[in-house]
Amino acid sequence: MKKLLITMISIFPLTLPAPIWASSLLDQYAYQAKQEFPDFKGFSTKDGEVFFLKNHNMGKIATPACTSCHGESPKQIGSTRAGKTIAPLAISISPQRYMDKAKVEKWFNRNCNSILGRACTVIEKGNFITFMQSQ
Amino acid sequence: MLPIYSKNNIPKAKLIWDLPLRLFHWSLVIIIIVTTITGYLLEYWWLYIHIYAGYILICLLSFRLIWGVIGSYYSRFDSFPLSRLMLIKHLKNIYNGKSKQYTGHNPVGAWVIIILLSILILLLITGLLVWGGVENNGPLANIIGYQTGLLNKDIHEALSAILMGMIAIHIMGILIETIYFKHPLIKSMITGKKTFRNNKITVMPYHSLYGGIVFLCIALALFYWVNISTAKSIDIKANSIYQQECGDCHTPHHPSLRTAENWQSIMTGLTNHYGENANLNAATTAKITQYLLQNNANIFDTKAAHEIGRNNTITMRMTDTKYWQKKHKKIKTEDFSISTVGSKINCNACHNDADTGHFSSAEIKLPQGIKP
Repeated sequence: MKKLLITMISIFPLTLPAPIWASSLLDQYAYQAKQEFPDFKGFSTKDGEVFFLKNHNMGKIATPACTSCHGESPKQIGSTRAGKTIAPLAISISPQRYMDKAKVEKWFNRNCNSILGRACTVIEKGNFITFMQSQ
Repeated sequence: MLPIYSKNNIPKAKLIWDLPLRLFHWSLVIIIIVTTITGYLLEYWWLYIHIYAGYILICLLSFRLIWGVIGSYYSRFDSFPLSRLMLIKHLKNIYNGKSKQYTGHNPVGAWVIIILLSILILLLITGLLVWGGVENNGPLANIIGYQTGLLNKDIHEALSAILMGMIAIHIMGILIETIYFKHPLIKSMITGKKTFRNNKITVMPYHSLYGGIVFLCIALALFYWVNISTAKSIDIKANSIYQQECGDCHTPHHPSLRTAENWQSIMTGLTNHYGENANLNAATTAKITQYLLQNNANIFDTKAAHEIGRNNTITMRMTDTKYWQKKHKKIKTEDFSISTVGSKINCNACHNDADTGHFSSAEIKLPQGIKP
């Protein structure tokens, strides 16, 4: 088991050439994904984009999609329903965005429930951040 | 009967109103115009001008009271012809189309001045009580409660109406004396001089110096008094966890804006917070709940705490209180959604002091694009 772990950790930097800022969180998601889904091949920017733009409409009426509050592009400023601005999701504009795991988890927990009516899978979360990293 | 002229009683223009008194009079005119316009005609956010004018008025009136004791002869209250006999005689004379010219004030004028000064003093006292009790500002902010302030607001308004009436009487009297009886009262309040067969010199150059010194002392004392006292408050910016967790989605509201009961309901229902999942972990929820309950509306003696905070609403929204709606009825619905405001619950967009819970009328500043 220990050997497997070491092997996995050592091959991750090769399969996921993530910059240093996000590596820890994405690594953790990737590790978790591998545990939960044995055929997991790595996160997809494209899937992340589709997920971000999709009109899920499965949770609360006021928030059918990520874009309901965050806007159509990750590079633009969003607005909460209370009218407060939300910093862009794209890493290129908000480099500090995904540094604090507790905060990221808090928001995935809240927003996945609001939009999907359920918690997000680790793959959805990983794809999401991978997409934001490309932006 | 012709006056008998001798060397000593040739009519000559003599200084009877000393310079400090004349400066007092015309400053008072300017200040009352300012306070009247800001008090009656302009929107709330002109209140600071009204207040500053009021502070100057305190200096002016304190000066006048002291000057009424130590000033030159005709400025002193003991020279005022206030006896009932003289008053009745003067009124009868006016009725019969005559008006004896007095060197200083005539009896009717003197009485009008006494009444004007009294009303102004009462206006200043009630004004300070409102400023302290209702707006939580000024030297009485920590001493006067909200209810006392509110009561004095009515008195202040009634007194200002009476003041307007008295000013009308004062101006009418001056016009009658000037136009009908040809006594140049306005001119003499400017030059200080009246023409009389009386050689008595009452105004000395040192009066100007004394007057200046007295006024300066009063102004410094007032400045000190106004500045030693600042209203007690808690700034929500000081609580970083509240600021951060609640501030992620909306401007965090001062804890004095809701009852303990409403805060409790809000904090236990965060999974559906006005249609939004605002769930927090147990430790954070407990910390924020404690902060809100410890600082609920009953702890504060401010206008906002009394009129908005202490009223429970079924929705827990402060915007559902009657007072909130009354105070915001001039703001159009679409104005709440402009980019600089966002929504009705972004108090900070217009209330500069929202973070302290004071919500002083003087601290309202509408963002560009919104007209009252």
